[in-house]
Amino acid sequence: MLKRLDRADLEKLLAALATGYRLLTPQRLADGTRLHRPHGEGALALQGEPVQRKPTEAFFPQHDPLLRIGEQGEVTTCDPPDRPVALFGLNAADLACIAFIDRFFADPPADDHYLARRKDALLVGLTGFAGPGGDFLPPANGMCDLELLALGQNWLGVPWTPRGEALLEGFPDGEQAEVEELQETARTRGNPAQDLLEKAAGLVASEVVPDDFWREIGDRCILCSGCNLACPTCTCFCVEDRQEQAATLRSRVWDSCQFDAFMREASGHNPLGTEALRTRRRIHHKLAADVTRWGEFGCLLCGRCDRVCPTGIGIQAVAAEILARFGA
Amino acid sequence: MTATLTTCPYCGTGCMLYLLSDGQGRLVGVEPSAGHPVSRGQLCVKGWNAHAFVQHPDRLKTPLVRRNGTLEPAGWDEALDLVHQRFRQISAAHGPDSLVFFSSAKVGNEENYLLMKLARVGYGTNNIDHCARLCHSSTVTGLVETLGSGAMTNTVACLDETDLVLVIGSNTTEQHPLIGSRILQATQRGCRLIVADGRRIKLSRHADLHLRHRNGTDVALLNGIMQQILELGLENRAFIEERTENFTALQESLAAFTPERVAAITGLQADEITAAARMFGTAKRAMLLYAMGITQHSHGVDNVRAVSNLALLTGNLGKPGTGVNPLRGQNNVQGACDMGALPDVLTGYQKVAEPSVRDRFAAAWGRPLPDRPGLMATHAFDAALAGRARAFFILGENPVLSEANQAHVVKALAAIDFLVVVDIFPTETSAFADVVLPAACYAEKDGTFTSTERRVQRFRRALPPPGEARADWEILSALLERCGLPAGYPGPGQIMDEIAAVTPSYGGISYPRLEESGLQWPCPNHDHPGTPILHRQSCTRGKGRFSPVDFRPSRELPDAAYPLLLNTGRTGMHWHTGTMTRRSHLLDREEHSAFIEIHPEDAARLSIRDRQQVSVESRRGEVRVMATLTDRVPLGQVFMPFHFVEGAANALTNNALDPESGIPEFKVCAVRITPC
Ligand code: SF4
Ligand code: SF4
Ligand code: SF4
Repeated sequence: MLKRLDRADLEKLLAALATGYRLLTPQRLADGTRLHRPHGEGALALQGEPVQRKPTEAFFPQHDPLLRIGEQGEVTTCDPPDRPVALFGLNAADLACIAFIDRFFADPPADDHYLARRKDALLVGLTGFAGPGGDFLPPANGMCDLELLALGQNWLGVPWTPRGEALLEGFPDGEQAEVEELQETARTRGNPAQDLLEKAAGLVASEVVPDDFWREIGDRCILCSGCNLACPTCTCFCVEDRQEQAATLRSRVWDSCQFDAFMREASGHNPLGTEALRTRRRIHHKLAADVTRWGEFGCLLCGRCDRVCPTGIGIQAVAAEILARFGA
Repeated sequence: MTATLTTCPYCGTGCMLYLLSDGQGRLVGVEPSAGHPVSRGQLCVKGWNAHAFVQHPDRLKTPLVRRNGTLEPAGWDEALDLVHQRFRQISAAHGPDSLVFFSSAKVGNEENYLLMKLARVGYGTNNIDHCARLCHSSTVTGLVETLGSGAMTNTVACLDETDLVLVIGSNTTEQHPLIGSRILQATQRGCRLIVADGRRIKLSRHADLHLRHRNGTDVALLNGIMQQILELGLENRAFIEERTENFTALQESLAAFTPERVAAITGLQADEITAAARMFGTAKRAMLLYAMGITQHSHGVDNVRAVSNLALLTGNLGKPGTGVNPLRGQNNVQGACDMGALPDVLTGYQKVAEPSVRDRFAAAWGRPLPDRPGLMATHAFDAALAGRARAFFILGENPVLSEANQAHVVKALAAIDFLVVVDIFPTETSAFADVVLPAACYAEKDGTFTSTERRVQRFRRALPPPGEARADWEILSALLERCGLPAGYPGPGQIMDEIAAVTPSYGGISYPRLEESGLQWPCPNHDHPGTPILHRQSCTRGKGRFSPVDFRPSRELPDAAYPLLLNTGRTGMHWHTGTMTRRSHLLDREEHSAFIEIHPEDAARLSIRDRQQVSVESRRGEVRVMATLTDRVPLGQVFMPFHFVEGAANALTNNALDPESGIPEFKVCAVRITPC
């Protein structure tokens, strides 16, 4: 099935999504931030840079109450919102990131709390000419329920699941040739960022990057933790217990491996006791350790850590520096 | 899900962020504002955790009144009536100047304005001050004299176009992280960096020159650098002639500060001073950044004068990429000063002592103003012990942990007749209170903060306050009404309109104009776009004034009995007395107990191991903390942050005050350490 939607069709699709789901769409806010917001709250921003906040927060929020422990020790779990979410307007990298953490949380023992939010959620990709100023974004080719390939004022609708198919039912048919053309554009453009990452990863894995380099990069880290908090494939959390009258509320909270306390032992000893070691770990984890564990990079090039790092040492910046210095 | 665009409640950098809530009244996180000129989609660790303390179960939720020695819940009317009645009684018995008001650099401009109005025409005293006394009072005094305006002359964005940054007495990457990171980015593009700081702070690792002068010798260092600039002929003659006055006096005063003499005072090498002079003097555009390392001394104002002299000498003023840039600490300490929460000035630094100023305010407020400048916060405790100050109203401050010489403060608070504390959490200070009023925090009300670069910007309500807590402006309005003053403000926007009407530098500021990223004052009228850079054509006072200063040693230096120099300050994870950050899970986990940094060689001599408990004593007190062995501190110096109640640095510090600004000498006192 392949459909072709014009603006009116798109609105129709969104209206349909809004009836069954808590629909979140990308919107541009007054200060220029592009964020996922409840549909209809502000004007749609169908083109632009990746939404500021990582989309995985819909399933794994920054601060997430898990359970309450009562006075007698009785435990009640905190339930997810009743209506499942529909995330509209995800690019290929963001969809790949969601797939990445799906595997992490669903890997036994599965994380019920994550799955409760995730299982009925609907993902809608938005690729093609939907980047900043209408720049080209490569098609996702799956990883979502349905994908819209932007052509300008029209969108090709490609379903990837039965739910996606049902939602596209009734819209006019599209031309396969138009999809081919977009695929061809993606092929000719290639993925220079991915090439860079692969080369840098090779150098990191083969241990040619000396400690001095990590010290230098670590010296530039101001310990904001943003690179981890912004990263859609970062899944580390810590547990916060709060005494609320007689009960204890237990929540999970996004953590960051750039923190000293992330690995610090009760004795005070810390196997990752310097910024250099922690920065090395952050990059090494995504470019080498994840490859061993999952067979793919833990970085899917969403671009957020480079955008959020106040001192310019996000993963792509570091990869470029590694390549420039040790890639000869 | 709601996203509320607001301003970070921590430091004066003034980043904007979205507070995210789940739509059912619970905050779930923070996302930086992408379009804001300072945050630019980034935050520091405190900003990323700005939601974390807001819904902590310890929040004060109902007014408390002391009955038979214990604080018990009370109704708002009962508590406010009691406050008003006691203030009236004490004023009647001992005069209005027996009342003391502490405002807060954490609350909005509108709230600072209302409190200073309440003090001045509600209760008839100029005894109003706030924690700027402890951080940048030296700046306000020093820069008003030399330039005519006591604020950062340039903007944060100027770091992108400067050729050299001199950071003196500021641990910028930890205390103003999004300014510190901007400096690091500047060094990446080739901007040169001089760091003058005894400690090996992060910035020093990126410096072209790191000057580790002894604490308290900044005047000698800066005079030495200026002496060498003149010696090398690197001063800006044209600027000096056109834009300044009193140059000859400066020149004469510098003659004695030869590199050899300065080296002996500061502990530096003579050629380091010459190198700094050459680097600074040859830079096309240079920015001077400073903070508490300059101001918190018994000669803090002199330090500020020396910084200002250096900028004038080299013509680094009034254009992009230059300037004298005091980094203001609290989110709204600039605003609290602008609003006249100070004993000697009204809004926009209009002098209380000036009859025409008083007349104008009296016409606007409908009541005459007291004419004598009031007490500085740091003098108020002496006045309390002398029986002159008898009732304190403390809004959002915790002097028991934040003032120098804790024992002195505690004695003073125990001595007074009546204490009111308005706060969001119970504090070490509210424990002494007769009445405690629960306040809404930044996330639960509307208003404006003014950042260190003079940017007036909005904070916005993201959720209702807990229990019966009220916004400070509502609490203050209720007291104004009890004083018979009209205070039926529908909201903070109308309070800002009143501020604009009486404050020339805020004249063009109104809420509709602040929607996105605010306006930088001076903004005198509604068409004015704001002023990113001060002193462009001429200084606010006309000519820039050279103000020669001589070197005076700190008041208490190490000796045989107390052989180590104690330096105090903050860390990147915590904020001041920890009321908010120690209730933020990740921040408290990162640094969860009091510590003292000590050089490994000093530690070895004293048989102290890393992470061992030690006793630290000064002439004023003793605390027990964990030793952290590190060469961040120079030999002979130890460093303690003042965040921790269980190891309060200010039990040790010296309340020796600068004679002009009344700032205590937080950065230098003498201690001894023994293992426990
Ligand atoms: S670009 Fe950065 S934030 Fe995005 S997936 Fe890679 S590591 Fe994570
Ligand atoms: S975003 Fe940059 S500065 Fe912040 S923790 Fe990560 S690497 Fe460090
Ligand atoms: S730099 Fe200051 S204003 Fe910005 S996020 Fe950090 S504490 Fe908040």
